[in-house]
Amino acid sequence: MKNKIILAIAVLGIAVLFTSCAKPPQAEIDAANAAIQEAKTVGADLYVPADFAALTDSMNAINAAVEEQKSKMFPSYGKVKEKLAVVSQMAVDTKAKSESRKVEIQNEITQLTTEVTTLMEENKTLVTKAPKGKEGAAAIEAIKSDLALIEASVAEVATLQANGDLIGADDKIKAAKEKATSINTELKDVIEKAKGKKK
Amino acid sequence: MNQVRKKKRRLKKKYLYILIGLIIVSISITIWLAIRDDGAPNDAIKSAREALAEAKQLNASIYAADLFAEAEQLYDSAMVNWSRENERFFLFRNYDRTRSFAQKAKGKAKESSTVSKERASSTQDRVETMLADLKNKLDVYERLFKDMPLSNRELDMHNRGKMLTSEARIAYESQRYPEAESKAKKAVELVTASNLQAGQKLKEYFQHYPKWSSLADQAIKASKGGNRVILVDKLAHKLMVYKSGVMTHSFDAEFGKNWMGDKLRRGDKATPEGIYKITARKDRATKYYKALLINYPNDEDRARFARLKRSGELSSRTDIGNLIEIHGMGGKGVDWTDGCVALRNSDMDVLFSLVRTDTRVYIIGSRVPLSEICGDISF
Repeated sequence: MKNKIILAIAVLGIAVLFTSCAKPPQAEIDAANAAIQEAKTVGADLYVPADFAALTDSMNAINAAVEEQKSKMFPSYGKVKEKLAVVSQMAVDTKAKSESRKVEIQNEITQLTTEVTTLMEENKTLVTKAPKGKEGAAAIEAIKSDLALIEASVAEVATLQANGDLIGADDKIKAAKEKATSINTELKDVIEKAKGKKK
Repeated sequence: MNQVRKKKRRLKKKYLYILIGLIIVSISITIWLAIRDDGAPNDAIKSAREALAEAKQLNASIYAADLFAEAEQLYDSAMVNWSRENERFFLFRNYDRTRSFAQKAKGKAKESSTVSKERASSTQDRVETMLADLKNKLDVYERLFKDMPLSNRELDMHNRGKMLTSEARIAYESQRYPEAESKAKKAVELVTASNLQAGQKLKEYFQHYPKWSSLADQAIKASKGGNRVILVDKLAHKLMVYKSGVMTHSFDAEFGKNWMGDKLRRGDKATPEGIYKITARKDRATKYYKALLINYPNDEDRARFARLKRSGELSSRTDIGNLIEIHGMGGKGVDWTDGCVALRNSDMDVLFSLVRTDTRVYIIGSRVPLSEICGDISF
């Protein structure tokens, strides 16, 4: 009997020696990767690049930690699981931050587009108020090509937005606003000069 | 029987010692395997990962894309190799290749960091230079070409270039240097082309400079007897009054839309160039506040007009035009007349009091040579 017990312990010892018990937390790894992919899908790499880089770096570290545990005789994935939970949450936060940044840029574009549209309407009204006859025609003609250019730019902004290039659209609308503002000043100046002559 | 038992017991004992020996060996191996940590390539992978993170932070994926991609690929190979080795029976695992890949990945990542730093800095410098160049070119346009009668194409190129310059500056301020560079490059192309065409037009116009210079000298000479003489400099947009060889007054002036060049015919919106005289003073009989009528077309204008008609350069039905005046209602900041010279009403009052019928009027393109106007400016 005594011998049988010793034999059983020996077999168990050898079995333990040649097998490892813990398995990598594949479900959690897959979930974290999916969460990172979701963050990327909403443009986190473009709109919150620093956060997204931190996220991918963390995931790379976890992948290395998994392999490190696999290399061991008695792997333990407890800490890896904890880290995976943190990374999954980071991915959710990064996604939210990216979406929020996109909304911020969208709002800025909308706000600037409204401002440019208002300026353009004002510019068009100012053009009608600009001096009539040959003395005003030259100034108006010079301004017309500028106005057409701004309108083309605003149309391009809409296309860029539709294509998801919010940063490009933001740059373009900012430049359009600068130009529309300078024309507005120019037109007011021309009208003011014309008024001065009538005095 | 007793002997057989004894033999069996000895055999059992022998097996037992072997078994105990095996257990001791296996426990020792287990303890050794559990405590050893120098087998796996943890440190090499960690170093490579840190080098990659640093490279990414330095925008190596943008400025040294090839090197960075190579580093990432080597790191992935290291990870794949590590995973593959981990699948093998523990006694046959060999992490040498994993380490080698990781070390190579680290090397490439470091290289991409160095290259990225250099390229980012040089891209920033290039964009700064381009933006400064664009500013100069746009300033040149404002100073030299803004008031010139340019074609719609030239205006369009200039305006698009100006818009792209704004976009490039916005991208530069957001530290998106490659994007800023791409926009600045397009802007430089447009603004340079527009300036070159306008500059060429200006150079062609200045082919008449010897004649203008001579007319300006004649004007000053004519004023030396004490007579007042009017000298109009179209490029400077100035009307000057000279007396006794000295400029006594200078007023801002506006001209016809196509003021660059001599007036050839009615409706060309050009302001004539040459020697004229005041033929009538209009105090009330004008809708332009006050006016001084000049004798356009003079004999020279008529002779040229006839020659151009004969050569077919002007249609036989073309009229030479008339009623060129120096009048008020100016100060609009644009060239708007049909060919007349427009002054502010207050300036017109002063001029009206200074001149009389027969006062000579010299109209030229420029008193100053192009080399002096442009200095060392390159268009």
